[in-house]
Amino acid sequence: MTHEQTSLAFRENTVRALEDSALRAAMKQAADTFGTKRADAFAPVADLEALRDRASAIREDVLANLPMYVDRFVASATRAGAVVHRANDAATAREIIRKILADRGAHRIVKGKSMVSEEVDLNSHLEAAGMEVVETDLGEYIIQMEGETPSHIIVPAIHKNRRQVGRLFADRLGVPYTEDPQALTKIARKALREKFLSADAGVSGANFAAADTGSLVLVTNEGNGRMVTTVPPLHVAILSIEKMLPSLADLPAFLRLLPRSATGQTITSYVSVITGPRKAGDATGAKELHIVLLDNGRTEILAGESRDILKCIRCGACMNVCPVYRAVGGHAYGWTYPGPMGIVLTTLLTGMKKSHPLVDASTLCGACVEVCPVRVPLAELILGLRQRKVREGFSDPKEMRGMALFGKAAASPTLFALGQRLAGAFWPVVRALGGKDVAGRMPAPSKTSLRRRLP
Amino acid sequence: MTAADRERRFLENAAIAAAGTHAVSGTGELLATLRRVVTADSPVYCPGVTELEKATAALFPVRAADYGAAAVTVEEVFGGVAETGTLVCSSEGGRAVQAGLLPSHHVAIVRRERIFDTLDDLFAAVAGAPPTNLTLVTGPSRTADIELTLAIGVHGPEKLDIILV
Repeated sequence: MTHEQTSLAFRENTVRALEDSALRAAMKQAADTFGTKRADAFAPVADLEALRDRASAIREDVLANLPMYVDRFVASATRAGAVVHRANDAATAREIIRKILADRGAHRIVKGKSMVSEEVDLNSHLEAAGMEVVETDLGEYIIQMEGETPSHIIVPAIHKNRRQVGRLFADRLGVPYTEDPQALTKIARKALREKFLSADAGVSGANFAAADTGSLVLVTNEGNGRMVTTVPPLHVAILSIEKMLPSLADLPAFLRLLPRSATGQTITSYVSVITGPRKAGDATGAKELHIVLLDNGRTEILAGESRDILKCIRCGACMNVCPVYRAVGGHAYGWTYPGPMGIVLTTLLTGMKKSHPLVDASTLCGACVEVCPVRVPLAELILGLRQRKVREGFSDPKEMRGMALFGKAAASPTLFALGQRLAGAFWPVVRALGGKDVAGRMPAPSKTSLRRRLP
Repeated sequence: MTAADRERRFLENAAIAAAGTHAVSGTGELLATLRRVVTADSPVYCPGVTELEKATAALFPVRAADYGAAAVTVEEVFGGVAETGTLVCSSEGGRAVQAGLLPSHHVAIVRRERIFDTLDDLFAAVAGAPPTNLTLVTGPSRTADIELTLAIGVHGPEKLDIILV
């Protein structure tokens, strides 16, 4: 199934989301749970700020020298026996992967969770080529069955409650209805185990790539990532170029920050470090390993004013604390990445023309900045994109005229004072015109201005 | 960190991650513990390569030919990390890392002297020439994908036991 971007309909999407009581209940519960778990996980970390500084500095170094680190990674991974492919855009990445799989006669593909594969819409392309693509992360499995996209980058089915999942499994898998998450998990385990063992190829993403050793790092909990990368004879990994770390020795800082920020875990159940395919004497590893490095506009982002978004390590903490995300959920954003990091990345990767309503989907409260483990200045980046939106003429013309008028008035004390007096006089008119909209619900202006009340 | 501290932190943190933890000294205690831990799970897969693995041979008369058919894997692993209560499984020396993944019960034997204090110590030791597969295992397989409610045993083991020797 191809999923069209609906970011331009952000406002309509949010109205629909706010009317969905099941979604709102799920989002509220999720927000509360995430908040507590994250705080608990970081409590015993002695010098959290120093750890964040270090991780941030490593990510800055990666961005400052990205072409060098990518070249180094390509050389190391190739030396380790992997075949590395470079893809400039989504279409090229999809086609490279389809060809690798088709050339080897692969029909059944098991997939680990990968947001980059969502970004390039890989599944629909492989399915169109007649392949069976099975998402194996429990959340991804649920939404694939429902024909949906992830609404959260860590917990893809966060918008669904246990009753919805229970009904879905009963309908589609023919199992007796249950709403017990443990029982539902067992059902998925059984159904998917068969797929793993009979798969021709595994497709995964990667959380990090170590430039010095050519290793891929996968941070997971369920074990499906381990299955996908070790059980089938062929492993294809797709990752975006900014996932580089200079060295495998840099990994511990990120292993301390990513799981705590993402799910409130000290460390995930599994961390896999994969260096090349199976070699002589090995009993583990795919016989063939292909790594697809996706650019898809990132080199351009790197050269621009929003480059800091590429420091992001995809923990999802920014969406968990975002008052907008928490109210409307991830689907409203209309593309792969939701929440504060999603606003920035979607606008940059798909273009202002396709996504400009998103840049207003933030109160700029800064909660995201406070939790970001690698200090991405999200509020500043969103503000920068708002300025770009105005510069590039995507703002509502009425808003533009109003702002121009206000700008003139605010710059002149005389005009401003006049405006204040007029506002008081015209308030009943404003209120009547506003009706049910925001203007109609605003409190009346004070009789005395703040300036006069100040000593 | 003293050896006793390291051991205590390793076991404590592994227990927090929902692993069963056992500390033994000598082969006699190891076998007694294995007898208790493995109980009804059959057949057993054990690579039988290291000294400690060889010592357990007599205990499991019914052996799975490979891990794919086993209910439990009993194996000695590369090491552990005290900071997080993590087991380190390595493909070095022809070991099948997925043997600890497919069966629903994983019993990992780890030697005391193979416990690293921190993740930094581990990666400083392996980062020069990493094996094809290095997997850090902390507790059993888990998910919270349905209503953020913890469920154990998704695709990997439902039960993880660590025996520190």
